[in-house]
Amino acid sequence: MAGRSQLNPLTARKLRRFREIRRGYYSFLLLVGLVGVSLVGELLVNNKAILVRYEGEWSFPTYTRVRLGEEFGLIGEARQVPVDYRALAERFEDEDGGNFVVLPFIPYNAYENDPYEDVFKPAPPSAASRHFLGTDSTGRDILARLLFGFRTAILFAVAFMALTYLIGITLGCLMGFFGGLFDLFLQRLIEIWSNIPFLYMVIIVFSVIPTSFDVRTRIGILLTIMVLFSWTSMTYYMRTATYREKERDYTAAAMVLGASTPRIIFGHIIPNVVSTIVTFVPITVSNAIIAVTALDFLGWGLPPPTPSMGELLKQGTANLTTAPWIVSSAFVTLVLILTLVNFVGEAVREAFDPKKFTVYQLELKP
Amino acid sequence: MVSVGCGKGATADADLPLGSRDNTAEVEEYYRTKVSLPVEVREALERGEISQAEIDERTVAGEFPKFFRFATPADLPADLEWEDGMDLPELGSPEATKGGTLFMAITDFPRTLRVVGPDANGSFRAYLQDETLYTYAVRHPNVTEIGPNGHRYMPAIANEWAVDREAKTVYVRINPAARWSDGRSVTTADTLFTYYMFQSPHIRAPWYNNAYHRQFTEVAVYDEHTFSVTVPEGKPDMNKRVLETRPFPRHFFLDFGDDYPERYQWEFLPTTGAYVIKEEDIKKGRSITYTRDEDWWARDLKFWRHRFNPDRIHFTVIRDKAKAFESFKKGELDTVRMREPDYWFDKLADDDPLVADGYIHKHQFYDDKPRPTYGLWINTAQSPLDSKLVRQGLQFATNWDLVIERYFRGSYVRMRTSADGYGQFTHPDLQPRPYSVAKALAKFTEAGFTERGDDGILVNDAGQRLSVTLTSGRESLKDILTILREQALPAGLEYRIEILDATASFKKAQEKKHDIVFTAFAVGPEMYPRYWETYHSVNAYDQAFLADGSVNRDRKLKPQTNNLHSLANAELDAMIERYRASEEVEEMLDLAFRIEELLHEEAVFSPGYVMPYLQAGSWRWIGWPEGFSNKIAHYYESEWMQWVDEEKREETLRAKRSGQTFPKHAKVYDQHRIR
Repeated sequence: MAGRSQLNPLTARKLRRFREIRRGYYSFLLLVGLVGVSLVGELLVNNKAILVRYEGEWSFPTYTRVRLGEEFGLIGEARQVPVDYRALAERFEDEDGGNFVVLPFIPYNAYENDPYEDVFKPAPPSAASRHFLGTDSTGRDILARLLFGFRTAILFAVAFMALTYLIGITLGCLMGFFGGLFDLFLQRLIEIWSNIPFLYMVIIVFSVIPTSFDVRTRIGILLTIMVLFSWTSMTYYMRTATYREKERDYTAAAMVLGASTPRIIFGHIIPNVVSTIVTFVPITVSNAIIAVTALDFLGWGLPPPTPSMGELLKQGTANLTTAPWIVSSAFVTLVLILTLVNFVGEAVREAFDPKKFTVYQLELKP
Repeated sequence: MVSVGCGKGATADADLPLGSRDNTAEVEEYYRTKVSLPVEVREALERGEISQAEIDERTVAGEFPKFFRFATPADLPADLEWEDGMDLPELGSPEATKGGTLFMAITDFPRTLRVVGPDANGSFRAYLQDETLYTYAVRHPNVTEIGPNGHRYMPAIANEWAVDREAKTVYVRINPAARWSDGRSVTTADTLFTYYMFQSPHIRAPWYNNAYHRQFTEVAVYDEHTFSVTVPEGKPDMNKRVLETRPFPRHFFLDFGDDYPERYQWEFLPTTGAYVIKEEDIKKGRSITYTRDEDWWARDLKFWRHRFNPDRIHFTVIRDKAKAFESFKKGELDTVRMREPDYWFDKLADDDPLVADGYIHKHQFYDDKPRPTYGLWINTAQSPLDSKLVRQGLQFATNWDLVIERYFRGSYVRMRTSADGYGQFTHPDLQPRPYSVAKALAKFTEAGFTERGDDGILVNDAGQRLSVTLTSGRESLKDILTILREQALPAGLEYRIEILDATASFKKAQEKKHDIVFTAFAVGPEMYPRYWETYHSVNAYDQAFLADGSVNRDRKLKPQTNNLHSLANAELDAMIERYRASEEVEEMLDLAFRIEELLHEEAVFSPGYVMPYLQAGSWRWIGWPEGFSNKIAHYYESEWMQWVDEEKREETLRAKRSGQTFPKHAKVYDQHRIR
C-alpha cells in the first residue's frame, strides 16, 4: 500500500495541509532556523575570531585547535598562552599594519568572566558592551549561555525522541503483530519497568559516575537513562494500532503473497500507523526539554560550568531582585521555545487528523 | 545548644534497642589492664617494627605503666594551686530575657545523631556537640592573653582545676551540681568511660583513637568528682588538652560495642547543656527543634545565666541558600549569616527598604582568631598531583587574587599559609604563590607537560591531560570555582568542577577519593596550629615507609582522617613529631615556621582567602549584647547570647504592614579588628 520511493498521496496531502496551517508552519521554520543558528553558534557568539589576517596569512580559528600568542607575533607572557582575540583585534587596529581580526557578533564565549564596575557581578543588558542580555552572577554573557544551553537541550530532545520512538515503535509493533504469550509477557514487563522512578535513577547513577568523564559522555549517560525509562508509553499506542492493521485485508494479502515478517511490519504496517505517532513527536520533544532543564535546575544535570537554561533559571531565582534580567532572559527563552514546539505540535496533529483523510470507510464497504 | 535526650525513643532502631546488653565487665577489665605505651613504642608499633604479640608479652611482664589509676582523696598533692576562673568577665547581656522561639535554617539534615563515628563529622555536629555537650571548662572568648598556665578558662562542668606543669598533670574537680539532662549526676565514672570509648575501635574514628591513645598517659580518679589527667608533653597549652575534653554519659553506653555506629545512629545523648530535643521535634529530613530545659543545672551560674535565652530553637532544613535568604527577608527566619559580598552589598544593601526602615538589622563584627583554611586541598595520591612540580605549577595557575579582588570585591584578604590567625605562631613573612601563567607553564614543562592538545590543555608524553577534578560540597562556592577554572585554562590546566551535597563531598574527601577538594577546616581558637592531623604520614597511609625509611610501594590509603593531602614526607614527619613533643614556645615557633616553609615547598595546600569579620542580619526583635559577639567566636551565634522579644516581633510585623518605620541599624563592631 505504501509506496517506498515516492510519497504516499495521503502523506503528501497531510504535508500540504500542514503548510497551510500558518502558525504551525512558521513556528516550524523559526524553530529549524534557531537550531540552524545554534549549530553554527561558535561563529556568532565566541571569543575566538572568525577570521584573522596576519602577515598575509589567513586563518579561521573558530573550529581549529587552540592557538598560542606566538603564532601572531605576541611577546612576553602572551606568547605562550592561548591568544586573546579581542585584545589582538585592538592591537592590530592600533598597529595599522594590514593585519586584522574579524570577531563574531558577540565576542564572548559562554564561560569567561567579564567584570562589571570592576567586580564579577551581574551586568544589565547593554549594547555598548555587547552583552545584549546582560551577564550572569559571575559576569558571563547570558546570550552566549542561552544559545549553547538551547543547543544542548534541543539536540538532546531530538536524540531522545528518536531513540524512544525507535524502541517504542519496534517493540509495540512486534507485540501487536505477534500477540499471544509474547504480547502478554512483554506487557507485564513494561508495567513493572515503567514503575521505576526515573528521577531517582538519574540521581543514583549520577552520584556514582566519576567526574573524569567529559561532558559529552555525561550527556550520553543522561540520555541513556532517560530513554531507558521513557520508551514504554509509546508501545501501548503502537500495539493497539498494529492489532487493528493486522486484521486488514492488505496485510492478509501481503501474507498470502509470501512477504517476510519484517517486510510486512516495516513496509506495510508501520507506514499506516505512523500518523498516530507523529502527533506525539512535538510533545515528546517539549517534555524532554523540560526534563533536562528541570534536572539542571535541581543540580542533577550537567556539571558546572556547562551552559544550560536550567542553571540560568536557578541563578535567576537566586538573584531575583538584584538581577531580574537573568531570570527573565532564561524564562522568556524557555517559554518561547516550548511555545514554538507546541504550535508545531498543534499543526501536526491537525494536519494528520485521520478524520479528515481517512479512507477507512471505503475499504470496509468495497 | 544542646541536644538532650530522649534516648530510647521512637527514633531508635527497633532491631537494636538500648538496654539489651551490659558491657560493665568488659569496661572494667579494660580499666584494670590498659597500659600506657611510651610514645616511641607506640610509634614503632604503628610502623610495624614491633608486633602486637610482643607488646602483649611485655605488658604481662609489667613493663608499661597502667593507664587508669584508682586513688583516694589523700593521694592528691597538697600544694596544688586551684583556679576557678571566677575573676573573668561575664558573657552576654543582663538585659537578655528568656522566652520565645528562635527560627534558624540548616542546609542539610544530619546523617546521624551520633557525635563521633562514621558520618558524624557533618555540619550539624557543632549544634549537637560543640556548643552544648560541655567540656570541663571553656576558654574565655574575649580574654585571650596567654598566662603562665596557658589561656584563661571559665568553669563549665568543672568548678575548679589545677595545673602541675612539672608532673604534666591537670587536676579537675567536677561541679557536684552538674547533671545530665536525664537527671543523673556527672561523675568521674563518666570521665573514665570517655577514655574507654574514644580509645575503642568500635567508634570507627581513627582520628579520635589516635588522639586518645597518644595525647594522654594516665587518668587517675580520687573520688566521685575529682580526677587528674597526665599528658605526655608539658605543652604551653596543656591545660586545654584536659579542660577541653568532654565527658560522655556512662549510663547511656551500657550497650556500647562493636555495633555502635548502627545502634546509636539516631540516639540522642543525655547532655549537660541548656536544651533538650523531644522525640516529636525530630522531623527527619525537615526540621529539628530544641527545647530549653527549665531545670538546667547551670542556668543561674556566672558565665551561663544570660545565655541560651530562647525557649525553643527551631532549625528548618533549607538546602538552598538563596531560598533561606528569601525566607529570612520574609521574616520566617530570625537571623541569617551574610558571608558573601553579593548578599551584603546587593541582596540586602544598606539602602534596602527592610534595612533602611529599621526592620532588619545588619551587623559586621571583626573577630581575631585562627582562620578556617579555605583553599585547595590537593590529594598527592592521585596522578598527576603526585608530582611536586605539577602542584607548584597548579598554585601559580590558581588566581585567588582575582577572586578576592573581583568576586569578593576586595573585602577579603589572601590567606598566606595553612595556619593564619595564630598570632605569633603564624609565619611572619611567607607569601603564597601569586598567579603567574608564565611560572605555572615553566613548572608544568619541567614536570613533563610540554605539549598543548587541540583544546589548549597540556599533555605529557604518555598522553595524560593536565586535567583534575575540583570537588566542593558547597553550592555557594561554585562561582569561585568557575572563575578559578577560567583563569587556569591559559596555563593549560583544566579544572573539572564537581559540586556535591555537603555530606557527600565530605565523605569523598574523607575516603581520599578526591583529586582536589575546595573546603576548609573550621579551626578552633587554639594557641598554635596543629600539623599532625593534616600532614603526618600516619594519617595518610597504613604504613607509609618501610623500616629502612624507603617508601612502601604497597601502602594503602587511610580513610577517615584529616590528611586530605595523603601527604607522606619523612622530613616533615620528623619535624611534626618534634613540634608535638616540644614544651618550649621558642622551639615550637621555629619548627612551625620550618614546617610551613616545607609545606610551601610541597605545595599541597593552595591558600585561598580569609574573611576578617562575621556578617549577619537579624530581625529587629532579636536582641544582642552591646559588643554583638566575642573575639574568638566561631559564628555570631556561638555563645548563644541573643534573645527573642516576641512582643517586639508583633510590633515590628504590625508596623511593617502599616508602614511605620524604626531607626536604621547597620553597625560595624570593630573593637577586635587587627589594624
